[in-house]
Amino acid sequence: MKYVIIGNSYAGLSCADAIRRFDKTGEVTIISDENYKAYARPLISYYLEGKTTDETIWYKDDDYYEKNSFKPMLGKKVISVDTAAKKVIIEDGTKIDYDKLFIGPGGVPFVPPTEGFNIESPMMGTFTKFDDAKKMKNAAKMAKNKEAIVVGGGLIGLKASEGLKALGLHVTIVELLPRVLGLALDEISGNITAKRLNENGIDTATGETVTKINLDASGNPVSVILKSGKELIADIVVVGVGVRPNVSFLEGSGVKIDRGIIVDKTMMTSVKDVYAGGDAVVIYDVINKRPNIIAIVPLACEEGRVAGTNMAGVYREYPGGMGLNAVEIYGLPIVTIGLTNPANDSQKVYMFQDDEKVYRKLVYDGEVLVGAILLGDIAGSGILSAIIRQGLKCLKYKDEFLNGNIYSFVIDNEFEIYNINEGYAIRGDFEDLPEFSRTNWR
Amino acid sequence: MNKNKLTNLKEDLKKNQIEIMLYPSRCDGCESEGFMACVKACETHMNEKYGSKYTGARINIKKKAGKFFPVICHNCEEAPCVDACMPGARYKDMETGWTITNYKKCVGCWMCVMSCPFGAIDRVEKDHFASKCDGCADEDTPKCVEVCKKGALKRIGIKNYSYERRLMVAKKIYGPYIKSNIKG
Repeated sequence: MKYVIIGNSYAGLSCADAIRRFDKTGEVTIISDENYKAYARPLISYYLEGKTTDETIWYKDDDYYEKNSFKPMLGKKVISVDTAAKKVIIEDGTKIDYDKLFIGPGGVPFVPPTEGFNIESPMMGTFTKFDDAKKMKNAAKMAKNKEAIVVGGGLIGLKASEGLKALGLHVTIVELLPRVLGLALDEISGNITAKRLNENGIDTATGETVTKINLDASGNPVSVILKSGKELIADIVVVGVGVRPNVSFLEGSGVKIDRGIIVDKTMMTSVKDVYAGGDAVVIYDVINKRPNIIAIVPLACEEGRVAGTNMAGVYREYPGGMGLNAVEIYGLPIVTIGLTNPANDSQKVYMFQDDEKVYRKLVYDGEVLVGAILLGDIAGSGILSAIIRQGLKCLKYKDEFLNGNIYSFVIDNEFEIYNINEGYAIRGDFEDLPEFSRTNWR
Repeated sequence: MNKNKLTNLKEDLKKNQIEIMLYPSRCDGCESEGFMACVKACETHMNEKYGSKYTGARINIKKKAGKFFPVICHNCEEAPCVDACMPGARYKDMETGWTITNYKKCVGCWMCVMSCPFGAIDRVEKDHFASKCDGCADEDTPKCVEVCKKGALKRIGIKNYSYERRLMVAKKIYGPYIKSNIKG
């Protein structure tokens, strides 16, 4: 069996591992357009800060590919997929046969049309790849006025600005929405976050966009003009607005695409033997109860695993995922899970705030918890994400959750399950133990 | 030894998979002694193991209205914390089967804290890392198990475990007529 995996990151490697778990002999080829072995992509901002180095940014061990007998093809860009002849076509003309194909192309940065923006300039760029981080590291050294503009106040933008700030630049974040992390946070938590950023020397210009970038003779930025007419000095311009599924190479392959790649429950696309996963696929969102693109690391790993298991011939279904994220902004940990801003009137919001240190918010739909924001104190947040994902009824715990006593739910529930002194199990089997845990989790 | 072969713990541990088992109903938080023995032992052991950085207990006891629950890694089969780990610091050790962490890679993104359904991963603010029990796979017996005198934490093989559970049920139904030959 010949397996080909496009994408050498979380989804692709998780898929390769799953294949290897069930098929010890199959030939697995991993294709990537980047000339690096698998690296921890979201850590490129930590690379700028120096928390991650050239030694520790690699996602897997050095001997990962040899040990699992995967065949990496790095620095090769896939230009199209011929699903009829079952071939993957590489830029240099090489054709690779496959029996089962996995597509995990991830996303490409989206750049809103801005006058003057030129990705070729060494002082301007996006922020999703290792090369981008290296480019910014060089750019920071060349910056004359030590001024940087980051367009986009989402996760990419915040992390990019934290990295640039660590390189000694003064950073201004320009965000279209009225607050930073606008899609995940609400007003209160957004303000606390913005304040934390400002205290640490990162300015935020919310409700603004960059309309024009003024260039010098060599094509590098001098300043930017904002929507309000304000002009800001800029040596470096980073656009971190977001990513779009990287699916342009699938044109003409017959794989159904609607925003992202459409997959069924087994992660198979509309074409037989072609599977997909990661940031480019549309999966079922268990919170909003509709298909959605959720581009986060844990889900990419899960999707890759389900796809790989099916590719190796073992049937497995993916139940769907939900959006959740964790980030730390200058010592302020933030966790957002599921629906953080109520979508309709039937959903009730409960909040707890202790000045600017701790903030908790719960969104209930009836008795079911559907979303949460935890800021400052994130202990036990995983319990909440498990509850939300499974849609458990827990309205009676709301006060305890708000007071940060999230463990009380586990104590009550697991006590019942684990307490074998009450003894209702007859056959000793590890798997039938905790209904709340293990295999039921996904 | 032959007589008790099925329940011989040494044989069982040698042959079968080993797990740390949790019996929360037996945990009383060592209240009478004034401290939690397992937490103390873990803390001491981690100090010895890691030196100055990456210390702190990996086990915690949470209390609610007279009930105590030792919060410890359950070593999930397809662990959410491994999936969520962005730097690839947390991984499954193929030899021991435990989910362990390479703390040098950990950057403190708290993705695992957010994903652990047991709340067993702690955010350590001081050294900026996510600490989790590594099962003391390189030790003969984990320190927390060693010091637990209440029988709430046990290191046990599968044979022993299933035997024990059968006995428990039998005991419940037939009461005092059945005697367990397992101590603890």
